[in-house]
Amino acid sequence: METIAEVFTRYETVVTHKSGAQEDTDVEMEDSVLGEVLNEKIDAEGSSTERGRLLAAYILAVQGQLSLDSDTIKFDSGMTTAAERTADLTMLHDISDTALPQVDCQVCYNIMLDPVTTFCGHTLCRVCMSRVLDHSLHCPICRRVLALPPRIEEHPNNKTLVDIQNTLWPDMIKARRETVAAEEVGEQGDLNTALFVCTLGFPEQTTFLRIFEPRYRLMLRRCLEANREFGILMYNRYSEPQGDLGPVHFYQIGTMLRIIRVQVLADGTSLIETKGSERFRVKAHGLVDGYAIGNVEPIHDVNLAEEERIEAAETGLPPPTDENDVLGQIDRMPTADLLRFGQEFIRKMQGRSAGWLQQRVLDIHGQPPDDARLFPYWFASVLPISEDEKYKLLDTRTARARLKITAAWIRRIETQRCISYPALPTWVG
Amino acid sequence: MTAPLPKRIIKETERLQTEPVPGISAQPHDDNARYFDVTVQGPDGSCYEGGVFNLELFLPDDYPMTPPRIRFLTRIYHPNIDRLGRICLDVLKNNWSPALQIRTILLSIQALLGAPNPEDPLNEAVAKQWKDNQAEAIKNAREWTKLYAQPKE
Repeated sequence: METIAEVFTRYETVVTHKSGAQEDTDVEMEDSVLGEVLNEKIDAEGSSTERGRLLAAYILAVQGQLSLDSDTIKFDSGMTTAAERTADLTMLHDISDTALPQVDCQVCYNIMLDPVTTFCGHTLCRVCMSRVLDHSLHCPICRRVLALPPRIEEHPNNKTLVDIQNTLWPDMIKARRETVAAEEVGEQGDLNTALFVCTLGFPEQTTFLRIFEPRYRLMLRRCLEANREFGILMYNRYSEPQGDLGPVHFYQIGTMLRIIRVQVLADGTSLIETKGSERFRVKAHGLVDGYAIGNVEPIHDVNLAEEERIEAAETGLPPPTDENDVLGQIDRMPTADLLRFGQEFIRKMQGRSAGWLQQRVLDIHGQPPDDARLFPYWFASVLPISEDEKYKLLDTRTARARLKITAAWIRRIETQRCISYPALPTWVG
Repeated sequence: MTAPLPKRIIKETERLQTEPVPGISAQPHDDNARYFDVTVQGPDGSCYEGGVFNLELFLPDDYPMTPPRIRFLTRIYHPNIDRLGRICLDVLKNNWSPALQIRTILLSIQALLGAPNPEDPLNEAVAKQWKDNQAEAIKNAREWTKLYAQPKE
């Protein structure tokens, strides 16, 4: 492959007698490139005639007469001849062709976009460097440990290279930027929601997550660039069928989580604090860069009138015939009583200093809410019972339905008097 | 729904065809451009000389962040290649770098044929033979090459 220096040498030795050189139409290009090249006096033998000013400037540099920090050169001869212009443009074209392969990123094989240079002197696109750092702390070219900040956003672009690229290949850079922007959204058609298949989240509740898998680091970065939201879904361990989706690797109902705080650790992993927003059902799903994306529809509660109608219908039922029918009794309790039942249970358990209601748990999840719609979500966030049980809360349409589920848990706990105490909170990723 | 093929894979595939590596070929499947049929010739002067080995190569979804998955389909008597054709090679595992490519990986595999390393074995029995009686091991490797790795006429 020819080097740029070789291009210059070639031009230096060729006598550019192009008789009748055509008047150049592309003067604008010449000006943008050459206009900036000039503030030193040319008196070297490589004067501008016929060879062009580009070559003249190069010769000056080789002869050591052009200080490296000068950004303009002033030529003595005022007007540029057509022959010079032609020579300059032909040469510029050759330099551009020669240099282009050298600004290809060695990871994506495209022209480097927003090039970032490591301390070991290797350069990649910014997005490629980020993805490399998701997987490894070593330079992909020389394998030295990369002394870049954990958040590459804080590392500047290679400005010299950016200037050269913007001068020589502005159209390619523009096209590349558009392509990357489209790719980095991480969407495919209507599959526009990032899905983190991991654990349960609940509306208005706080969930802490540790993000360490490379694919989820990428997902997190993209979420932070976009609306700071992603959907969290529980892993479908036993491949249970999920409606129209079949036995997919996640449960089809989840909760949107909004990222409140991010802490990037030295090893590139992140701790994030999130707050649940609305629940959703996955209608279609796909895969992008290793993580799931989906088309989701929100799950909303029925309106208040409908909620009250349901309550009236259920509380109006005749009492259950079997007095041991606990669920039958719960079904007939007024919604306000169901909430009180839950709150009293919490007070009782606090009185007994239950481990799952320690101060550190309350610091994270707050005090039990008075809102009947939210109490069950809070309860599920602190109560150490199986996730499969908690999952039932997500597929409900009324506060009442959720409170009935939590009341059933309480009754079961009270009869069993034994519950397990897994470590809280759960750190997952 | 499948994402379009990254430019990197397209370029690598093109270059494998236009600037082939001597003794190595890699042909993508028509129906899956991430799956390649690979042949590697045993290096001259090695006990695999004259053999043509078939391998399969697959580029996972997150390639080039993770290495290609490669396996020998042809049986081979080698301390770093097991009976299922799996290869013990650092650049296919921890030492993978996204600056490596299909071409360089296949060259590494060819080099591994030229320099078996019984100190880091994947196939214990073969490695033991290699250390206990190298002449016998090399003889076995030659015989297996004749038996299993003959080029198709």
